Amino acid sequence: MGGTVLVLFYGSILFCIIASAVRMTKYLTAPLHLRWELYQESSVYELRDWWQKSPRRFGKRLRGVILDVLLLREFYHRNRSFWYFLFLFHLGLYLLFVWHLWLFFTAVTIPFEAAWDGGLAFGHIGTALSFVGASGIVFRRAVDRELNVYYPRVHYVKWLLILLILAGGFLAVVFHFDSDVPQLLRYVNIQVTFQDLEHKLHPALGPASHVFFVSFWLLYLPFSHVLRIFFRYYQYFRWDDVPNTSGSTIERKVKENLARPVGWSAPHIKSGKAWGEVIRETEDLKEWKVVEDEEN
Amino acid sequence: MKTKKTRVGGISRGGDEPLLEISSEDWITLPCTTDQPVSIRPLTDEQKKQLEHSLDGVSALGIPKPKNKAEEEKLVQAFLNGLRRLLSQDDNWTFWEPLVYSLESCVRCQTCSDACPIYVSSGKQEIYRPTYRGEVLRRIINKYIKRGGRISSKLYGEEIDLNWPTVARLAELAYRCTLCRRCAQACPMGVDNALISREIRKLLSQELGIAPQELHNSGTVLQLRKGSTTGMTPLALRDNIEFLEEEIEEIAGRRIEIPIDKEGAEFLLLHNAGEFLSWPENTEAFAIIFDALGISWTLSSDPGGYDVGNYGTWYDDFQLVRIAVRHAEIAKHLKVGKILIGECGHAHKALLVLADRLLTGELNIPRESAIPLLEDAVCNGRIKLDPSRNDFPVTLHDPCNMVRLTGIVEPQRRILRKICPQFREMEPHGVDNYCCGGGSGFAIMSSRNFPDWKMNIAGRMKFKQILEAFQDAGDPETRKYVCAPCSNCKGQIRDLLSYYGAREKYNIFYGGLAELIANAMVDLERPFIEWEWH
Repeated sequence: MGGTVLVLFYGSILFCIIASAVRMTKYLTAPLHLRWELYQESSVYELRDWWQKSPRRFGKRLRGVILDVLLLREFYHRNRSFWYFLFLFHLGLYLLFVWHLWLFFTAVTIPFEAAWDGGLAFGHIGTALSFVGASGIVFRRAVDRELNVYYPRVHYVKWLLILLILAGGFLAVVFHFDSDVPQLLRYVNIQVTFQDLEHKLHPALGPASHVFFVSFWLLYLPFSHVLRIFFRYYQYFRWDDVPNTSGSTIERKVKENLARPVGWSAPHIKSGKAWGEVIRETEDLKEWKVVEDEEN
Repeated sequence: MKTKKTRVGGISRGGDEPLLEISSEDWITLPCTTDQPVSIRPLTDEQKKQLEHSLDGVSALGIPKPKNKAEEEKLVQAFLNGLRRLLSQDDNWTFWEPLVYSLESCVRCQTCSDACPIYVSSGKQEIYRPTYRGEVLRRIINKYIKRGGRISSKLYGEEIDLNWPTVARLAELAYRCTLCRRCAQACPMGVDNALISREIRKLLSQELGIAPQELHNSGTVLQLRKGSTTGMTPLALRDNIEFLEEEIEEIAGRRIEIPIDKEGAEFLLLHNAGEFLSWPENTEAFAIIFDALGISWTLSSDPGGYDVGNYGTWYDDFQLVRIAVRHAEIAKHLKVGKILIGECGHAHKALLVLADRLLTGELNIPRESAIPLLEDAVCNGRIKLDPSRNDFPVTLHDPCNMVRLTGIVEPQRRILRKICPQFREMEPHGVDNYCCGGGSGFAIMSSRNFPDWKMNIAGRMKFKQILEAFQDAGDPETRKYVCAPCSNCKGQIRDLLSYYGAREKYNIFYGGLAELIANAMVDLERPFIEWEWH
């Protein structure tokens, strides 16, 4: 059992990294698409000779994105009733992320007894917020018709897994480690420094079950919305307001796109040729047949 | 208000029975009485026999029913092939990334639903929900394209069958969305359900050869073959321009030349074809303003050069690119400094925004909107204006393509605040505006009973907004002006005001932005706006 957990845990970490890298590569190497922007305020196109103006500063945009991600501002403004539980859940996750960083860092840098006493409470607060948030989301999803419509039932399994992870972590800290920070740090130290293989092969039930559920979550993570947020902002930062100028990277990429072969089959498209050729062939364009309709 | 509970899998149901029986009882209430019959005309028996109509009893596309099972299967297979192409980076480099992101990232929070004027106006009918068609497409992809899809589809409980009724209904459904992208603006995840509609349209056009005849045959094909979606020839354009010059002379008291094909001009002004046929006063107003500014400009009589519209934007990438390239080639041929885009919303999107990832080398000629230039003229005192000439209630319709999709939000309202003492905003406005209901080509789609649907459902929210904007505008005799700086929006607003009798009942007129500027110009001998109905 212990060996299985060990393999599953490290395997899931490896899988998470590889699968995330594959998916990110797929998006990073995607062709530069046509501009299809949306604007929440005035754009550079309000200016004359707009292509000579500088795009918005990177720092300002980054600040906006960080606030969006941390505070879920879009949900706050547009779906407030859903935002409450969603924000609690994410706030808890962010705190737990920081808490785990603190655990790993403290476990290998300072004597366990000198660690911050408040560390435990910090973790519990994060867990509680996420638990309440996740439970609230599940409840809303189940009873609110708007949140329920089209929501795949299998997604409730994801929420169950998350609740098990949160509850498992809390119970392990309280019962297995007796809410004792040095004991917890000692355990983490053994894990991250790869000491004591015997300990790893025969873990205690409390931490093992927590790790077990986390492993499944790591397997799911590359396909979750977490990674999609990355895709969303990649385009925003990389190309958003950058004009296509002569000799630029954008122009080079557009030329590459126009050299791609055409595969579509409708009568007005000549399949097999390159895009750049097909778009110049307008001489033979013919009307499509329509049903003759007196009432039309 | 009752709402219909339509399951996603219902789209695969066989037979002609519509998924939705449209009923006027469900629609949102307008702040007026209307003489129009509050219903949508049913198709004739002959039409029902010939054409697909099992979505909601309306036929926008006029899709003929397949003659037999074999033909049905062939069409379904073609749809599946097209779907594979939509998901291929090579075949769909134009929109692969935002499409795949949108298909994969919906969290089903339905935040977008209440943002959709069609969904809300219809009384929240499930099939018009912005996420409905995306959900259908996603389920088809999961089941028929992804490996192990048939098993995972069962596991997820995602009922769907890809058969001819599904394809036929989905095709019509792609034309129950104006692509205004208000749903995308509302989505906290950045999912663009309007793009999904567009990509379904594209699949149908580029693989099955299915598109509304108004957009394809008498739209992009006519424009590429003859030069304009109106069928106007270069010779007819020149005659038209001569007539406009005579009209200007009557108003201005002197002859003002409208330059055509002037090589080396600073600006090539591209108008929508509608400005030459239906709203010539817009072309005249631009000529008067540009003359007063003393700038170097020209129109083009090259086929395509007098129609900046690009209906390819709404249904077909190849037609979109062909038309954009044609416009750029005309500008290159005339050796102009810049292309200036007139009051045409979707030309802003196509030529300014989309084409910035399309045109290269000598074809990548600087392009900008005419609105900032007009703002400069008005707000920096470059022409003499008397705002009291515009002392009547004016409201502004924000064309989705110019505002939410291109980000030109403030210049037009700065102009109106300066020259229209009774300017009032619609609510909501700016990037949160509602579509006129004629977006994505609907303004020119008028076959069968689609116009009824367009007036009663797609345009309902806009008409409500217009009435509300003028509620405090005094008695019905007061002339009121809806400023719509977009040719397509003007067409739709004209049809809405006519349909509901708003001109007769409330004296509501409509027109462009340049007309209001020209009307305020002190140098003109007589008022520019003549309050005539076009």
